[in-house]
Order: sequence, then structure tokens, then C-alpha cells
Amino acid sequence: MNAEEIKQKFEEAGYETWMKEREEGVRIKAKRKSLWVKVDKDKIRDAVEYFIEISDVYPHFSIISASDEGDEVELNYHFTLGFGKLHEEFSVNFKVSIPKNDLVIKSITKMVPAVIYSEREIREMMGVEFEELEDKRHMFLTKDFPDGIYPWRRDETAPKETNKLYETWKEGAK
Amino acid sequence: MRYEIPVGPLHPALKEPIMIKCTIEGERIVDVDVIASQNHRGIEWIGMNRNNPVQSLYTAEKICGICNLCHPACLTIAVEEIAEIQAPERAEYIRVIQSELERIHSHLLWAGVAAHELGFDSLLHYVWMVREKVMDTLEIVNGARVPKDTMMYGGVRRDIKEEHVPKIREMIEYYRQAFNKLAKLFLEDKTIKMRTREIGTLPYEEAIKLATTGPTTRASGVKKDVRQDMPYFAYPDFEVKAITPDILTGETIGDTYDRIVVRLLEVKQSIDIIEDALNNMPGGEILAEPKIIKLLNQIKKAEGEAIGRHEAPRGEDIHYVKLKSGFEYLYAWKVRAPTYINILAWRTMLMDMQIADIPIVAASIDPCLSCTNRVIIAKDGKESILTADDLHRLSVKKTRRLMR
Repeated sequence: MNAEEIKQKFEEAGYETWMKEREEGVRIKAKRKSLWVKVDKDKIRDAVEYFIEISDVYPHFSIISASDEGDEVELNYHFTLGFGKLHEEFSVNFKVSIPKNDLVIKSITKMVPAVIYSEREIREMMGVEFEELEDKRHMFLTKDFPDGIYPWRRDETAPKETNKLYETWKEGAK
Repeated sequence: MRYEIPVGPLHPALKEPIMIKCTIEGERIVDVDVIASQNHRGIEWIGMNRNNPVQSLYTAEKICGICNLCHPACLTIAVEEIAEIQAPERAEYIRVIQSELERIHSHLLWAGVAAHELGFDSLLHYVWMVREKVMDTLEIVNGARVPKDTMMYGGVRRDIKEEHVPKIREMIEYYRQAFNKLAKLFLEDKTIKMRTREIGTLPYEEAIKLATTGPTTRASGVKKDVRQDMPYFAYPDFEVKAITPDILTGETIGDTYDRIVVRLLEVKQSIDIIEDALNNMPGGEILAEPKIIKLLNQIKKAEGEAIGRHEAPRGEDIHYVKLKSGFEYLYAWKVRAPTYINILAWRTMLMDMQIADIPIVAASIDPCLSCTNRVIIAKDGKESILTADDLHRLSVKKTRRLMR
């Protein structure tokens, strides 16, 4: 199934989607396509389950990325599909917004086991709680890293004490 | 009786820090837990809070010493897409050549490490001697053996000049001749076969399910290669085909031996790509916008998000970037190096193996822990520590035992 067909399938199922394309190559041109799907936070499992169901092969999970959007935290679940064929792969990205007053989302580790490291990382870096995530140990931060400080956030929970050394040689600093 | 052996924090294969906690029954491994890291360099944080996007290119280069082109490459692909910057044709070709030079040196480095893990140090020295040719070429082209500092949004910083071309062609010829000897040494040696055939096997289904990438997944028969599947730079011109071990051996087992086969064949493939690129390199500029301040202003005005994907020597590297208009830094930046995802497969590979197999199996994914892990734990509680040297000794012992 190609990118357009997957897009149509998601639209039929009631999801908001959009596609981005960029042409690459000099003598031979090929398009890099990325399909974006907006998903409600309560429906992440349904969306991923549906995606696996409509895909010809098991989708390749890449990573979850995150950004602090003020009152919300935005997560992007990046997958790819169509690999193994010349110039036919495209990325499928699920975009989920989670309000900061209820930073909880269901874990998808049961469906996509490879997601575990990423969920653990987002949990410690962004403070998003993953329901039914079995392994909640820190992934990259120290065991004793304080609770309530999340390095990737842009609000009051971001780390305040950072390396002062940098400030001293920053341009214009005294 | 079950014992827990924490392998690490000094990595048995690479002297890089990671902990593989193995539960063993006698010699047999029955469970594996990977403790990735306890210390973070915060590269993404620096890109999101301190550095402007051009500075972040150089920070990205420092994520990994060996594959130092692939991280700035990913960042460039993503930012160029958001800011709608198009690199000149010549620059796209130079990027391909640089990427393939990196693959050759990385795969040969790995081959030496693999030989060392098996206790075959004369082969380590031979491979690393052969590797010097590509290091010399990199030095001629970039002015330094390891760091390239050549990626820039909208092109590359250094041209491949007329006088470089004969040197690169000489390197191509050198590796064409060296390839058969290397293949014979690695693939026909009885001891290497004994230590790697059906050791650390990753079946096709598991490789797919665990989302492994690069030579690790291709050795299990998954024909996945970003250069083939979703090409970038000038890669569509070369119609790269993903290499699986059956091309050479007629079968795919997905074991450590197959990972050696894939990497060796990829060295050959890289040589062909470089030659093709040199033969067809277009002329012209190498930068779309040589003035950095102007370029920075263009990026600062851009808004949007994109994913940069690049086939690094260890597998697929991915950067997610979000830019906001007027925001000085990258608004969001997520780096996913190939080892991040490939270490998940260690458990499957190591189950039912022996302790002495840990070094070569761990090394078989070509882990680059700087991609993943930035840590040293001196000692964790009461756990006793099996040092890298101990493991290496065990590995050498097993080789000797098999040779009897």
C-alpha cells in the first residue's frame, strides 16, 4: 500500500491527515513523502492498531519526538512503511497533543515492543506518564535525578541549574 | 543455580560505557537486561536552548566520533526541508561521496574490532592497516582524519577539487584489490566461522518487530536501507540496493557471520558508489548561500517540522526538527542514532548463548555507545564486576578451545 492509499484509509476512519513531499536527486528524481496523522490522546492505541492492521508488512517504528507547546506537550510517533522497495518508503507520523494538567497517555509497548526505550525517555525528559508501561526506570538520566524536573520542557519544570561555565565565555558576558 | 553477571559499565566490546546485565545458568545466558545510561550529555538540550542552528550542526557532529557526518546530515535534511533550501547539485554529490567514505572507514574499523573480540589480533592489525588508506583519503579531502566539518545547510563547506580525484581513484583501486583478501580472511577462516556461525542469531521476524536498522537488520534478511527506500542527497541517481547476506552465501541466517558478510559487501558497494559519483559529478557551486548570517536569518524566519533520515554505517539515523519563526534555537530536536534502537535486539541475540559469546555478539551490531549512552558507573551496589579484560580473556579461551 502506498502513502496515498494509507492516507485515504486514515481519512476514511475519521482521522485528520496531511502529506508533505520533497524532491531529491540530481539525474533521477525521487520524492520523500511523510504522512502526518492527528490523533486524540485517548485514541493512540486505536490508531496504531489500525495502522498495523491496514499495513501490508509490520510497520517500522523509528522514535517518539516531543515538544513543549505551552499548555500542551506534543508527541510525534514516527513510523515508516514501504521499505524494501526502490524509492517507495514513506514515513507515517502520529501527532498527539496532551494537556499539561493531565499528562497521561496509554503505552503502546504491547503492540510495538520497540517503543519501550522511547517511552521511557519521553517519560523522564518530558514528564509524560505512560499508562501500563511495565518498565518505568530512567533510561538516560541518573537513578537519583530529581522528580519534577524535565529537561525538554520550556516551563517552570525545566532545569534551572545548568552549566555556568558556558555563561562565562558566552559573547558579551562578563 | 542462576547468577546475574553485570557486563559493563565498561563495554566488553568497545570500551564504551553500557551495562548488559546477563542472568546465567552455568554458561548459558537465560535473561538479558540492558542498562543504557545514567549520564546524559544533553546534546538535544544544547540545540534547543543554547546554540543557533549553524552551531548545532557542529554539536551534532560531536554526537559520534566515528559517524560524524551522519548527524549533521540528518539535521541538514530536516532544516533544509523546513526552510526550503535547495543545495546545489555538486554539493549533493559531494555529500554522497563523504557519506560513503565514512561507511568504508566505519565498517573496516568494526571488522578490526570484531577480529579483536575473537582473539584474532593479527587480523585486527591487518584490517586497520588497510583502513589507513581511507583515513588518508579523508585527510586529503577534509584536512583531518576523523572530523569532517563539511556539512552546511544548503550545501557543503569543502569542494572535492581536481587534485583530490586521482587520490580518491587510487583508494578505489586499492580497496578493489584488498577486498578479495579481506573476504577470504573473514569468510573462509575456520575459527571465525566457528565463533560466529549461528551465534547471536536474530531471526527475520524479530528484526522487523524490534525495529532494528542497518547491517543488523539486513543481515537478518530485511531489505531495508534508507539510500534505497527513501533516498536523499543525490542517492536516487545511484539506485542503491539493500545488501543481504544471501547475495554472497546463498542463504540468510541472521547470525554474527551474516553481519560480517553484509558489512564487507557494503564496503564494496560504497567503492562503486564513490566511483560512479566521481564519474558523473556535476560542476558548479557547492553552497546555496555562502553568507552564514543571511542563512541564519532565513532559518530563523522558517516555521515547521521535518524529519531527516540518513543511512549511517550502523543503520538509519533520524533527526526530528521543529522550527518556530523568530525563535533563535531549534524549537524541538530529537536525535535517534541507530544504536539506540539496535541494542533492543541484544536480548534476542544473546539468549542461550555462552558468556564468552557476549563480546562478539554485542559487537556484532556495531554499537556506538556515544550515540546512546554517556555514562560511567563505577560499581553498582554489591554486584561484582566482570571487566572487559576478563571477558576478552574468556573469548580468547573459547577460540583456543575450539581450535584444539
